[in-house]
Amino acid sequence: MNAHASSLTARPGIAASYGRSLLGSIGFLPALLIAVVIGMSAVDPQFYGPINIINILRNTALLTIVACGQALVIIGGGFDLSVGAVVALASVVTAKTMGLIAASFPGNDALVITGGLAAGLGSGAAVGLINGLCVARLKVSGFVVTLGTMSATAGVALMITSGIPVYGMPQSFVRDFGRVQFFGLPTAIYVALIVLAVMVFVQRRTLFGRYVYAIGGNTDAAIVSGVGIRRHLVGTYVLSGVLAALTGILLTAQVGSGQASFGGDRMMLQSIAAAVIGGVSLRGGVGRVEIVAISALFLTILGNALNLLHIDSRLQPVFLGVIMVAAVALDELGRRRKQRV
Amino acid sequence: MDISVEPPRVAAAAPLLELKGISKRFTGVRALDHVDLDVRAGELHVLFGENGAGKSTLINVIAGTFPPDEGSFHFDGEEIRHLTPQRARAIGISPVFQEFSLVPSLTVEENLFLGREVSAGGVLRAGAMRKKARALIDELGFDLDPGRRVDDLSRAHQQMVEIAKALLGKVRLLILDEPTASLTERETGRLFELIAKLKAQGVGLIYVSHRMREIRALADRVTVLRDGRHIRTLDAARVTDGELVELMTGRRIDVLFPAIPHAPTEVAVDVEDLTLADGSVREVNFYARAGEITGIAGLVGCGKSELVRAIYGLEPIVGGTVRIEGTPYDAPAPRESLTRGVAYFPANRVAEGLALSRPIRENASMTALDLPAFARLGLLRQGSERGLVGRAMERLKLRPPNIERPAGALSGGNRQKVMLGRALTRELKVFLFDEPSVGIDVGAKLEVYEFMKQLVEAGAAVIVVSSELPEVLALSNRLYVMHHGRIATELTGTDKTEQNVLASFFKEHLATEAA
Amino acid sequence: MSDLDLASPAATTPSERRVALLALAWQAALPIALVVLLLGFAAVDSAVLTPGNLVNIMQQASYLALFAMAQTVVILTRGFDLALGPTVSMVSVGAALAMAVGVADGQEPGTVLLMGLAAGFALGAACGVFNGVVIAYLGVSPFVATLGSYNIAIGVATTISSGRPVQGVPDLFSWLLYGGNLFGVPAAIVITVIVGVALHLVLTRTVYGRALYIIGTNPRAATVAGLPVKRLLVATYVLCSTLAALGALMMTARTGSGEPNLGGSLSLQAIAAAVVGGTSLAGGRGGVGTAVVGALFVTILSNGMNLTRIDGYVQMVVLGAIVIAGVVLDRLRLERRG
Repeated sequence: MNAHASSLTARPGIAASYGRSLLGSIGFLPALLIAVVIGMSAVDPQFYGPINIINILRNTALLTIVACGQALVIIGGGFDLSVGAVVALASVVTAKTMGLIAASFPGNDALVITGGLAAGLGSGAAVGLINGLCVARLKVSGFVVTLGTMSATAGVALMITSGIPVYGMPQSFVRDFGRVQFFGLPTAIYVALIVLAVMVFVQRRTLFGRYVYAIGGNTDAAIVSGVGIRRHLVGTYVLSGVLAALTGILLTAQVGSGQASFGGDRMMLQSIAAAVIGGVSLRGGVGRVEIVAISALFLTILGNALNLLHIDSRLQPVFLGVIMVAAVALDELGRRRKQRV
Repeated sequence: MDISVEPPRVAAAAPLLELKGISKRFTGVRALDHVDLDVRAGELHVLFGENGAGKSTLINVIAGTFPPDEGSFHFDGEEIRHLTPQRARAIGISPVFQEFSLVPSLTVEENLFLGREVSAGGVLRAGAMRKKARALIDELGFDLDPGRRVDDLSRAHQQMVEIAKALLGKVRLLILDEPTASLTERETGRLFELIAKLKAQGVGLIYVSHRMREIRALADRVTVLRDGRHIRTLDAARVTDGELVELMTGRRIDVLFPAIPHAPTEVAVDVEDLTLADGSVREVNFYARAGEITGIAGLVGCGKSELVRAIYGLEPIVGGTVRIEGTPYDAPAPRESLTRGVAYFPANRVAEGLALSRPIRENASMTALDLPAFARLGLLRQGSERGLVGRAMERLKLRPPNIERPAGALSGGNRQKVMLGRALTRELKVFLFDEPSVGIDVGAKLEVYEFMKQLVEAGAAVIVVSSELPEVLALSNRLYVMHHGRIATELTGTDKTEQNVLASFFKEHLATEAA
Repeated sequence: MSDLDLASPAATTPSERRVALLALAWQAALPIALVVLLLGFAAVDSAVLTPGNLVNIMQQASYLALFAMAQTVVILTRGFDLALGPTVSMVSVGAALAMAVGVADGQEPGTVLLMGLAAGFALGAACGVFNGVVIAYLGVSPFVATLGSYNIAIGVATTISSGRPVQGVPDLFSWLLYGGNLFGVPAAIVITVIVGVALHLVLTRTVYGRALYIIGTNPRAATVAGLPVKRLLVATYVLCSTLAALGALMMTARTGSGEPNLGGSLSLQAIAAAVVGGTSLAGGRGGVGTAVVGALFVTILSNGMNLTRIDGYVQMVVLGAIVIAGVVLDRLRLERRG
């Protein structure tokens, strides 16, 4: 009777884990992605034109970088609403710093670029540090803290520029970094691939990645097991800030000026949408960045496809909204069914 | 063996763990009152006591979950202050809690190494950990796949992970809190072998259990706790079961439990072939009559609580029938249950019973807001509410009698009174009590029992689910014993003894072994 | 999460009276801060305290107060509504379109007005039903659900208006919701006060209000006690969106046209105002009072900073800092209570 009971309870478990691995590794997202790609290629040859593809990949790259950081924060059980504002801040800080250094040391491009990058990434890290410290030390909800820093960061970015684009970056930065192409692909894509590879490694192979999963999955268990909660939480926010800043710098290099209008609410919402559709659970503890990247690609292609199909661009957010709610609702229903078993 | 254990000290005379005068209080309740405990290396020391006797609090203090308010704590001859869970593990105190300290979304292996990963420069060494995990699991003889996610495992397997986790690394004092509650016989056998091996290696063990058989098989010494106080520490070989039970209950059985004049009339609740969606209850038949207390006993996880929750409408039913006074009751739901006169009093009053920051008044009237005495046309009648709740709490002797204080400011006993107050705010016929005396002091227990007595006298049907055997034995007119989701036996009259209840578990075990 | 603390977790501090005093001090702190703020600004610029400016502040604050009340009812249930801003935009253009149609049809002014109000409230209620059903019945977190409807509402608002302001809001509409006054008090203030009082009564005197606080404080206990949690959640999101729709109609009356970008960043502003006022995101604490005080605080701050010519960008930074300070204080207050 006893053995019977245990085998009864074990069996649905196997089925569930099988179901999850199917959904997790193959999943409906890639299927949906392939369907859109095939459908669009059949409908509109413009879709697989090189210019369009490069455009899609570049936008995907930028979104992926931000979404990786966002995903990590959400896996740790938080939220980062400030990423959009950090993109803007990093953009203007980088441009402004480069302009200032260039004025003092004209011609010394290496110094100018290094200084600009350091300042840009540093500004992202600083905002992330404030977020992280407020969340971890003061135990305030990540939602409200980053809501506050979002407003403050956007304000600082606007203060620096007074709303006017910042020029004065060295030509080499824009021409040789922002707009250059290797093997026909813009730099942003290579940067995104490197970031993605590093993040996959961090998630799977480092203590930090493991602890972020543990903290988001069951904070009490992590505490009892001796995991330091605070510094890892701070780490997720700092990383998210730095990655958002990196996106801001890439945008700046591509456009050729620092602008406080980069990023914004749209980037923040898109990054959360990419994470959520990519299977990152808002309950924390679950999610993988490579799926988030696929989800970012999907969202970008979807927007592109709707454009090519001449569907009113104003109607496009509706698709995003419906897909996002549907993805999470399906996940939730699956979870409930599993609990019933 | 991969379970690395430091050799026992030569001076084995000094105890491994020595606690003196440990006290701890929560919300006005003295959970521990100057408790002494010592555990020697290589000894298995059983903590014995009823629910709420302070066993859990004590092991949490030892494991560093929270600090004691007073008292001294020596481990291996050294005074320990400001113990944290991390530090406890570092010095070799390894707890296995009933409440699992596992991360459900991680794999078995990831959980085993949580906080103690093998790494180089922040990079995990997966291969080394996999090897170590395999070795440990093989050594323990557990049927575990290190790559499986913990939330896909059964409760028994999660328990094994928990035990394996505690044994990874340096262990000098192992704390086991009812470790066999969800294990099968065979797994229990493996655990006992393991315990013997650890003892031989000089590991000290603290073992919390209600089961006489386990105490007989394993214990070197037994410490009995009652109401947060240390009653006595005895040599296990020289004490009888009767003595232990007597010490545990303090012979309060006659004194504490009121004589309840059962006068059963018609059947109020009957359940036929009831099976729940999660399989925790299978094909259960039972009935409860008005004018008597029907008890349901059983070990943790046997489905007894799920059974009454299903009748009230908190657990999904997949098969069978529930009837209230003969009328079939399909798809029970809390609101409808209350309308039909069925009330449920949850075991966990903090999680499921009370809105702690809201006033007592609102908590007591929560289930009665559909009645005209409390609201008309959706508008609250606060004057009438104050009067009704005030009188109910007066009858229940709430102290202090201020019904505007937040429920969170109350002690456990008074919180239960607020719950009972709900019974007085509307007409009810069936009362489902889930662990009615968990977390409340002796005085309040007596009042709860008195309350049940009044209910029975007034002709209500009362069903009491309890893990505390003396309680259900003394209160109930008829007692069902559940085991692994099924009714194992029904006991009445003189058959209603602790021995027979325990025997019904053994009968199940024997049947399993035979099969 | 596993709860290792087996004994009761709600340990109260030894002297409850001191805690009560602290709570009281906190309650009074924000109104006092308000007065200090006003006096401070007045010292810099005497124009702050003129009756004209005070009425102006009140009028400005009345919109934000309505939106903060809308957020408060859902925050009480541990949720929030990110879609509030886009809902405002959608209601604005929807109502304006309905009225434009009515005018084109040559309907009576009264009929046109009713068409506009009906269209606005219906759109608002529809948003609420969507949010509520997705959250309560599909089990999607309020964040994702309302982020979804945020996008949907933006799409609808910009599509039906083609992204341009919708002209043709009749004078009667503008007069009723903006231009008119009662004993010299502008319509916006009158409406907000009436709605505020009504909502306060709903929250404190009705079964619905009672249930709202209980659900926010302990949803499981509410379920066990037989409260219809899911239905109440839907009702609450509908209430939130309907209040947002009212605010949207009032703002439309002010601008005189349906604006597809009217909502802007209102969602987060309204949450910020509610939180600064002392509404707890943990649920179950707050009310009309916290919403109104928060809205007044934020409005006075920005009005004062405007008059003292503090840069608009600096104001954003200040607002962000205040939101964080608000939750930190809320946190400290919770810890004091234990």
